[in-house]
Amino acid sequence: MIKRFRVLIPLVVVAAAASTAAQAQVGQAGRLLASNCFQCHGTNGKGPGFDDINGKSVGEIYKKLKEFQAGKEGNGIMAKHALGYTDAQLVALDKWLSTQR
Amino acid sequence: MDRRIFLGSALAGAVGATLSACGGGSEADPALELASSSRRTTTTTTPTTTTAAASAKSRVIVIGGGMGGATVAKYLRLWGDAIAVTLVERMPTYTSNIMSSLVLSGQRTVSSLSYSYDTLRSKYGITTVFGEVVAIDPVGAKVTLANGTVLTADRIVMAPGISFDTVPGLGTSDKMPHAWQAGPQTTLLANQLKAMPTRGVVVLTIPKTPYRCPPGPYERACLIADWLKVKKPGSKLIVLDANPGIVTEVDNFTNAFMGLHGNVIEYHANAEVTSVDPSSMSLFTTAGTIRGDVINMIPRQRAGSLIATAGLNNATEGRFAGVNVLSYASTVSGASKVHVIGDSSATTQPKAGHIANQEAKVCADAISRILSGGSPDPAPVTNSACFSTITMSQASWLTAVFQYNPAWLNPATGITGPAMVPVAASSAASTGWNKENFEDMGEWFKALMADSFA
Repeated sequence: MIKRFRVLIPLVVVAAAASTAAQAQVGQAGRLLASNCFQCHGTNGKGPGFDDINGKSVGEIYKKLKEFQAGKEGNGIMAKHALGYTDAQLVALDKWLSTQR
Repeated sequence: MDRRIFLGSALAGAVGATLSACGGGSEADPALELASSSRRTTTTTTPTTTTAAASAKSRVIVIGGGMGGATVAKYLRLWGDAIAVTLVERMPTYTSNIMSSLVLSGQRTVSSLSYSYDTLRSKYGITTVFGEVVAIDPVGAKVTLANGTVLTADRIVMAPGISFDTVPGLGTSDKMPHAWQAGPQTTLLANQLKAMPTRGVVVLTIPKTPYRCPPGPYERACLIADWLKVKKPGSKLIVLDANPGIVTEVDNFTNAFMGLHGNVIEYHANAEVTSVDPSSMSLFTTAGTIRGDVINMIPRQRAGSLIATAGLNNATEGRFAGVNVLSYASTVSGASKVHVIGDSSATTQPKAGHIANQEAKVCADAISRILSGGSPDPAPVTNSACFSTITMSQASWLTAVFQYNPAWLNPATGITGPAMVPVAASSAASTGWNKENFEDMGEWFKALMADSFA
């Protein structure tokens, strides 16, 4: 049983955040949805915390979340958490996270 | 015992800010200068509202720098550079409620729970003002500080956490600490536990819902019970629950109370404290008089006092602030420029730090949209997650995802209206507890605090 929800992703080194405040990106699709991930996976999915989930190819995080939903990743907290989102929401948050490099 | 299930909830914490005077400065910010220039406007003919006009930036004042307040300030800047944010908080550092029960078992120090506002200032350009708010004008969006300064803004976000009901008989005694706002109270209770002789009696009281962190008192009871076994052999822990039964994570806490800690914990449901006598260390309750050597008296709760000061306590029998969960704007007529997030607000979501962080993001996103001429996201999602200590080295978990429903029939009240509704399939607890969850708890805490304060 895989209890941990670590995805084995190389750490993405985030450039200094001086520019973060300059990102005026009001109303980006998927961003608010994806922010539900940030408490455990870091702001914009970039850590610190559990697996980094940013900057993957489109569909990768979606596929992982579907595996959690299907019970293929054990019975840990993510297996239940993933069940809280609609398919369209998973697609939207996956897409947004993929843009965060 | 009654096995009611309250969906969701999270470990200790949430919007913890309490607002009182404290020194401290902030770097000059155009918005604050504008705001400051508006002070004493009562002596001039210029209305304070002019300070909000024609500025390149919109302005938001956040009151309270706990989990919700810090997060909303950060995300308002991250998601909308056109917004100048001033965070008003009375303490120069925040002490996390989450993990603070581990101070009682000697596994953490209070100082390890301390978070500063330095990163919010340096990385996100947030202006901090350390001072006490004494008045709020929800219609004019004005905030008056104890030193007379009047701040004005386009929007105000209030995150003042909780306050406690007065306990008859307690007075100013420090003999029955609540330790439900981490800090000196936590140290006090830790010292009282440490000084207790072996074969002593500890009492922990759980208030009527809604209170901050639904699983919190139960996990604290488990932790203290485990600690007593090792450090104070022969001692007993009496848990007095004002509710009809364990309010959340019922299976795990029932198994822990009756099984694992059954020789230490004595649990009483429907036991509400009506008054206390610190001199004889007695609690007078609806289940009789109970005496203890150490008493952790957690009183019934309401929103941080500023909510009532501002006249926003229109929900939960006047205890909390009713909000529109698309934006967290107050539902008090004329007060829609004031948003209330975290433990002070009355929603279907638990009062806890992890979900206060998410409410803050929904609020920040909504305000960003509103101030740039749009409307809030019509279908927000939030989530609650936490770990609970069942022993000094093992933990359980609890989670729920909440989806917006514009017309939800509340089975408890019979009223239909907009609400954040827990998705049944996602509302769950771990089956039992283990060491790995305890390790994950540390990882979760680190991540959550970074998402809120860094």
